[in-house]
Amino acid sequence: MAERADERLVRLLGIVSYLDAAGGVPVEELAQRFGVSTQQILADVDALWVSGTPGYWPDDLIDFDADSIERGVVRLTEARGMTRPLRLGTREAVALIAALRAMREAVAVRSDRARSAVVESVLTKLTDATGEAAAALDVQLAPEGDPQVVAAITGALVTSHRLRVRYVTAADVVSEREIDPVSLHTQDEHSYLLAWCHRAAGRRTFRVDRILEATELDVPVEGHDVDPEVDFAPAPEAPVATIVFASPARWIAEQVPTESVRNLADGTFEVRVRVTNPVWLRQLLLARASHVRSVEPSWVLDDVTGAAQAALAAYGAGGAGGAGELG
Amino acid sequence: MRLLNLVIALVNTNVSMTKQQIRTSVAGYGDAPSPDAFERMFERDKDTLRDLGIPVLTVDAGGHSDDVGYRIDQDAYALGAVDLTPAEFGVLSLAAQFWQDKTLRTDISRALTKLRAAGAGEVANDAVAGLAPRVRAVGDAYGPLLDAIGARRAVSFTYRAASTGEVLARQVEPWRIAARRGGWYVLGYDRERRAPRAFRLSRIEGRVRAVGRPGAFDVPAEIDVESLLGARGRHGGVARLAIVPERAGALRARAVSDDGGPGDSGSGEGGSGSPAGRDVVAVPFVDVHGAADEIAGYADAVVVLGPPELRDAVVRRLRAAARLDAPDDEVTETTEATGTEDDRG
Repeated sequence: MAERADERLVRLLGIVSYLDAAGGVPVEELAQRFGVSTQQILADVDALWVSGTPGYWPDDLIDFDADSIERGVVRLTEARGMTRPLRLGTREAVALIAALRAMREAVAVRSDRARSAVVESVLTKLTDATGEAAAALDVQLAPEGDPQVVAAITGALVTSHRLRVRYVTAADVVSEREIDPVSLHTQDEHSYLLAWCHRAAGRRTFRVDRILEATELDVPVEGHDVDPEVDFAPAPEAPVATIVFASPARWIAEQVPTESVRNLADGTFEVRVRVTNPVWLRQLLLARASHVRSVEPSWVLDDVTGAAQAALAAYGAGGAGGAGELG
Repeated sequence: MRLLNLVIALVNTNVSMTKQQIRTSVAGYGDAPSPDAFERMFERDKDTLRDLGIPVLTVDAGGHSDDVGYRIDQDAYALGAVDLTPAEFGVLSLAAQFWQDKTLRTDISRALTKLRAAGAGEVANDAVAGLAPRVRAVGDAYGPLLDAIGARRAVSFTYRAASTGEVLARQVEPWRIAARRGGWYVLGYDRERRAPRAFRLSRIEGRVRAVGRPGAFDVPAEIDVESLLGARGRHGGVARLAIVPERAGALRARAVSDDGGPGDSGSGEGGSGSPAGRDVVAVPFVDVHGAADEIAGYADAVVVLGPPELRDAVVRRLRAAARLDAPDDEVTETTEATGTEDDRG
């Protein structure tokens, strides 16, 4: 059995204290409550049945009603004093409370009174039960964008209604489309709406801060079979670009999906990225050009230098002052 | 289940049990082939139980011996009444999906097992339908750092500084682990530099080791996470942009009405307005560098009219980009190559 002994111990003690308060509980219900199979529950009962206080005579052992188990209902008859539920350990409390605090600040929660009241009350109850060790971990999620857009999205998710959105892609193309929202993925860097797009007739992921407008329609969503995992792995057939950056641009190696990262002796590093979207790479290189040491292949380089020259020309022709400093 | 029998024995003991009593009477310990093996087994079990939130107390065994005794106090380990509604438990189940790391997921699932045992169980997800908050994986440094923060112990690790690319050993008194804008950091007091610093966890190479004794320092009551993460030197403002029609929709979406902005009209530069065929839009920004990165990415579609420092920052980027094909031209930008241990991501 792959399960760790300590995980099982927590469940075994949990089963005893729960049954002590709940009385007879069907095996299936117990399995569902503790997130394991019914076979596992029966194995747990068997393990508990032979456990107890030193001596281990029948009266020393945790005991169950055997007839009742025959009928598929677990009923505890002797708890050997193990009736108190376990408190949360420090690490457990930290992980739980940091997640809840981050959720509390998410726009999708903050903008909805009922939702934020639920998160707030569970936080209060748990903080009371666990103390203040949770300060060791502090997580903030991404700002999600226009509160009105977020409100329309979350509203549509609750009511399962279609949305009409105006969306601007990374390539700066604006389009209007109707989508069936599936889930709102608030991450630490950006938020994404996973949806079925009627215009594209397929599953699409929309970055929330690029949804310019969103309107909930009085149309129920259609049942599409949409993989709920948001996965940003670039298409394997996309061409690869190889870029050497100076050390200060290290975040690129950490935040951009890369094929490989190689640290070079002089503190620079080489990344290989798949170019699913040439505009995205152009934007990255325009923003970080001062830290770029080399770029391959040459079409990427030409694209960036061409765009930069066009932009500098726009400044020169813009007549907005300061043109003399160019050159 | 040796652990289970140990817990039951130590909860039920009248006063306490000595090690000897545990070894001879608790099921599972009889297997220990030697006193040393028993000792190791018992110490490991105590550690496991403490990590699970079941502290084994050491008490004076009384009598003539100087033996210590052990017991478990149910009041010390019991979870206070946590009466969760189905909607609240729905929120908790969502929190369980928040973490990507196996260790954190294990911690959460154990917490949920305990809460379910305490009666919470029915789950109603309507309140949080469709929400999927999630934070990126924190990695192996998390466990040792969190333990060190809890114990107030210093840590040492090897760190690659982004500003220079140098790899150096660091010794830090850790205060807090923080996630911001796609990065994980530990904030603390850097003993060599004698100053508070932020370290990005993905730049820690190899293991994090606890050094020195517990209780070696105090964590400050107030930690300014944002300023430690190099939000320093942020100068916000309102950008005046000349945008090609139909372009830069994401920037336009953040526009404020042009006349509503705080009056920087006195600067006079480019004052008379829009270059031919462009829309002039006012967009607030929080940080010149971040705004310049974004705007430079639009190339000729967006021209900055003001303020001057933003315009200069964009032009600097464009010039560097225009020269990328000039092989031996070492383009460095000293004003931004300096920085803290982190970056503005």
